[in-house]
Amino acid sequence: MSDEMLNIVDRIVADKGKSVNMVIPILQAIQAEFNYLPEPALERVCQITDITPSRIYSVSTFYSQFRHQQAGKHIINICVGTACHVKGAMLVYDAFRRELKLDDKSDTDAAGLFTVLKVACLGCCTIAPVIQIDDITYGNVTTDKAGEIIQDFLNQKNNPLSKRKNPSKGENAVKGEIRIGLGSCCVASGSADIKEELEKTLDKNKINVNVKQVGCMGVCNQVPMMEIHKDGEPTEVYTKIQRDEVRKIVLKHFKPDSLLTEYKNRFFNFFESLSIENVPETTKKYSNDQRDTPVSEFLNKQINIAVEHRGVIKPLDIDEYIKFGGFEALKKCLLELNPREIIDEIKLSGLRGRGGAGFPSGRKWEMVREAQSETKYVICNGDEGDPGAFMDRMLLESYPFRVIEGMVIAAYAVGASHGVFYIRAEYHFAVKQITAALEICRQKKIIGTNIFNSNFSFNIELFEGAGAFICGEETALIASVEGERGFPMSRPPYPSESGLWDKPTLINNTETLSLVSWIFRNGAEKFNSIGTEKSKGTKVFALAGKVNRGGLIEVPMGTSIKQIVEEIGGGIAGGKTFKAVQIGGPSGGCIPASMSDISIDYESLNKVGAMMGSGGLVVLDETDCMVDIARYFLSFTQEQSCGKCTFCRIGTRRMLDILNKICSGKGKPSDIADLEKLSLKTKTGSLCGLGKSAPNPVLSTIKYYRHEYESHINGICPTGKCKELIKYEITTDCIGCTKCAQRCPSDAIEAIPHELHFIDSAKCIKCDICKQICPTGAVIIK
Amino acid sequence: MLTIKLDNIEITVPAGTTILKAAEKAGIIIPTMCFNESVPNHASCMVCAVKNNISGEFIPSCESKVQEGMDIKCSTPEVIEFRKDSLELLLSDHVGDCEAPCRVGCPAFMDIPQMNRLIAKGEFSKALEIVKEEIALPLILGYICSAPCEGACRRKQTGSSVTICQLKKFVALEDSKIGKYYLPDKLNKTGKKTAVIGAGLAGLSASFHLLKYGYSCVIFDKNKEAGGSLLNVPENELPKYILETEIEILKQLGAEFRLNSDVTFDLIKNDFDAVIIASGENSKYANLEINEDTFTTNESKLFACGAVMHPVKMAVRAGAQGKASAHSVHSFLSGKIPQKQKRQFNSRFGKLNEQEISEYMKESIPGESKEPQNGVLPGFNREEAIAEAMRCLRCDCRKSKTCKLRLNSDHYNVNQQKYKLAERNKIRKHFQKEILVYEPEKCIKCGLCIEIVKRNNDLTGLAYIGRGFDIHIDIPFNKPLEQAVADAAIDCINACPTSALSGFAGESGNVLPD
Repeated sequence: MSDEMLNIVDRIVADKGKSVNMVIPILQAIQAEFNYLPEPALERVCQITDITPSRIYSVSTFYSQFRHQQAGKHIINICVGTACHVKGAMLVYDAFRRELKLDDKSDTDAAGLFTVLKVACLGCCTIAPVIQIDDITYGNVTTDKAGEIIQDFLNQKNNPLSKRKNPSKGENAVKGEIRIGLGSCCVASGSADIKEELEKTLDKNKINVNVKQVGCMGVCNQVPMMEIHKDGEPTEVYTKIQRDEVRKIVLKHFKPDSLLTEYKNRFFNFFESLSIENVPETTKKYSNDQRDTPVSEFLNKQINIAVEHRGVIKPLDIDEYIKFGGFEALKKCLLELNPREIIDEIKLSGLRGRGGAGFPSGRKWEMVREAQSETKYVICNGDEGDPGAFMDRMLLESYPFRVIEGMVIAAYAVGASHGVFYIRAEYHFAVKQITAALEICRQKKIIGTNIFNSNFSFNIELFEGAGAFICGEETALIASVEGERGFPMSRPPYPSESGLWDKPTLINNTETLSLVSWIFRNGAEKFNSIGTEKSKGTKVFALAGKVNRGGLIEVPMGTSIKQIVEEIGGGIAGGKTFKAVQIGGPSGGCIPASMSDISIDYESLNKVGAMMGSGGLVVLDETDCMVDIARYFLSFTQEQSCGKCTFCRIGTRRMLDILNKICSGKGKPSDIADLEKLSLKTKTGSLCGLGKSAPNPVLSTIKYYRHEYESHINGICPTGKCKELIKYEITTDCIGCTKCAQRCPSDAIEAIPHELHFIDSAKCIKCDICKQICPTGAVIIK
Repeated sequence: MLTIKLDNIEITVPAGTTILKAAEKAGIIIPTMCFNESVPNHASCMVCAVKNNISGEFIPSCESKVQEGMDIKCSTPEVIEFRKDSLELLLSDHVGDCEAPCRVGCPAFMDIPQMNRLIAKGEFSKALEIVKEEIALPLILGYICSAPCEGACRRKQTGSSVTICQLKKFVALEDSKIGKYYLPDKLNKTGKKTAVIGAGLAGLSASFHLLKYGYSCVIFDKNKEAGGSLLNVPENELPKYILETEIEILKQLGAEFRLNSDVTFDLIKNDFDAVIIASGENSKYANLEINEDTFTTNESKLFACGAVMHPVKMAVRAGAQGKASAHSVHSFLSGKIPQKQKRQFNSRFGKLNEQEISEYMKESIPGESKEPQNGVLPGFNREEAIAEAMRCLRCDCRKSKTCKLRLNSDHYNVNQQKYKLAERNKIRKHFQKEILVYEPEKCIKCGLCIEIVKRNNDLTGLAYIGRGFDIHIDIPFNKPLEQAVADAAIDCINACPTSALSGFAGESGNVLPD
């Protein structure tokens, strides 16, 4: 091992500590240095810490974040979450591999510059398909854009974004405020670009305006968005802005400071405009006062509790949070209420866990309260591993103080002295925001000793998950914090009795905690008055898929699926027909459009074979293949299974084998019954929730879409999604433009200008590029 | 103390007792695989599952503690079905043969690999003992057997198969040269008398096994010489003295020959407790109804085997039938109803691929089979036999008698093919000197070995690698097994529920070439 590597490892260990439970943070730090885990570095760790070779190997190979092979300089993560999957993520994955000329065995290009990986979900579902290169995210990726994106990334690396300071009050009078969303979706859609362009325009024209970065606005598939606030004028919202439109928008609202600048500008603009042939028509402008606009419709049907003050509040501005009533609830709890009263209030509110199972929160708090122990823990579960879900990410990114406040209240109620934020490492921005928010809270003495001068002390640390869906399960999460593989433990004993380090531990989902402060500010009765008989309050959903408007929504329990899809989501995009919603991710199920009148609450969803899950809601249209959806989720769960018990480890794999057979047209009629039987066995035979719920997507699709399974067995994929059952063809609508032939990566189309083109099926790799770029829609799937 | 119901039996046990232990106390046997008392328990295999009748859940009894008022079902068809499914799923990912293909291919089910190992070690008489466990007339069969075993031999994939038949002939000839023939132990004498009509291959074989069961045996034949159709085999295929030697051995074992006696069942039935007809294609018994599974007939006390049922082309099959009919007689005389003999559960994986052949070759020697210098008829000399036996790939399982996966699969009569949906994994074999063999593709991922090795802090240890279906057990930092397991090997071998970890020398009684 080189001395340099040795020094780096020694420094990391000195920083993190030598104890066994530091294994994951140490591995993360090593990987951050080298982009993978060099074996000599791991050996060094074993030499100088209490971590054994067995542990370092078993842990580092369990979590998907860790690599043992050298990686390229940059990592391209292709999101294969649900929303991305239904929008062709696998084709995008193939396209990047082709672009970088990767052979079957390698994931890194010959130059060692890029490594292409799949990632379970980046949580940017509304702008699917999404990819991430290092820390830059690209949304709405199409298969023919791989080359452009890589080039753009390299350009950005060479010209990092400039930083601009907001004008100080002393200078010219501030003319207004421009708000720009910088949640992960916004950034992925290019809002950082927009911000840069905005700042450039403002500086160049010497316009004195505050630029405010706000958290997620929720309307995630209309991004990038910009809100113009100007005294005496109605607020205007611009959606789906392109970089070259920024200047026009700004100059429409704000005049440059001097005539000279304006003149200069016109001069420059004249030349600039020469290079722009036609300004795209994508930008849409809406005024906030206007009714029936997509944005207002999207927002108006909702009740904001977890996402209160969305689009207004600056995530890390604690003064603003306080101005809007932040920490009032905490103060009230600490100074006026005793733990018993707090628990009673939570019980009265009817709050149930938002992680999926819906266990009554008050009861859970009570159990931890009643457990006898000097030391107790509170863990905020932000390990949002479901593909197609991004609620926790948004809440953590945009409302960090609200989650912290809920956590401190919970800690006081149960008598915990120590808290852990468990956030998955894929959520870089959420980790950054929470780290910063915790530091601010420490400074403001909102966490630490004698909070608000009470005799209550509570500290919080942050633990980054390392990529394992199973760690959303509470016993597996605990194992992970303790530096073990995420193997779930059998219950009882429950964590409320014996959890982290065998101490009573309260584990609440991020969303659950973010509802707490509202309940104390507005009263349990008010919360209780929202929702249905057994499911109270609101639920945050990540609405994505084939809807016109997707994003983070918060609706009262009892809202129907139809209302969400049609009224909030604005119906199905592209004039297609609504087919089904997939709710609850890999543990949930598909509910057909014909049943979309059912109202959303824990019980009604269970009844139809779905489940609340953590709140992913992916809308499917007529072009989505239900067998493929079942296969998609099952390939996810079987990859995420911890591998311990027989039914989950082998049962889910054998189910996938059957589904693969069916999707490739090799199925036989008895396969459907066999699959159903094995699904039921896996459901009863698995030891933890992952395996017990993994068959749900299969069972619900068989229940409602058996005919689609049958057609696959007859060799037909009715929606033309299953690669092995389809063929690309060109119809007589072809105008002979040769575009398809030029872009075909496998030379399956010969370019013959002005003549009808033909696809050689033997050569066709079904990458879909020809279909996407054909100007006349002449490429069809048969 | 807590009181629970197990299969409707009320039992009171201290708090903290597992359901498995409580069941033991109630006299209910629950099978286990991943459970081991000396190791911290992480239930995984689900073979010990029982049903909690109140919650409706299936729970691992080895890990689940009793709770007051529990109502547990341990033996209902539903529970049995559940355990079967666990085993069938595990078997779908278990790449291993319980028995070597040659043995499976042998109608007499001779333990060929074990014979080969003994020959390779120079222990020829012990090798013959193995042969004679299943085959009554190895000398004769050494000359005339069509050797279906050699057709099944995996060594054929790398050239020529092991010439098993010649090896069997060799050990039988070696024995005949010593002057004092090997005579197998007999079960306690019962005083019961049996007779065999017909001194052909099937009848001679039947008499050998009847004698082994502890019965007296009289062999009747209408001819003046014993041998039946064997007498028609030309001298250059089966020398006469071979037949004579084999008959002499039978006589020494206690067989009484009554030649020139064209008897019928009716004539002798009052003198014997059981009679086997093995008189070949004999029209006298054309109307006899014979059950081909049990070799019983419509006449009480009368059994039949060999060509009297229908023509038998393969000599070894006639011998096997003689053995099986003797077994039926034994059942009958022990007061049981004769049943079709069921072979023990046998996991199979099919052909080896190129890469796997080289894994198997680690335990063999290269080179083609050589013809005996003295010619095929006289057969191998000692050196040749040893060299040939060493070519055996050792494809039988090292734990075929103690593997819990096999024993449980046999007990529950499972179907290994049920979940065979995908291509199997490639077999690998890792060795820790001549102590331990690790075959990852046989592992059920229980992790007992990891825990056992963990007790010794000086070792590199073993670790779970990966997760989900691809989880496996391996050694950190690619260290050798010696460094990972060392002295913990024996404990690991004993704890491993399958033969993923097995002793290099196999189970007690098995031997390996030096």
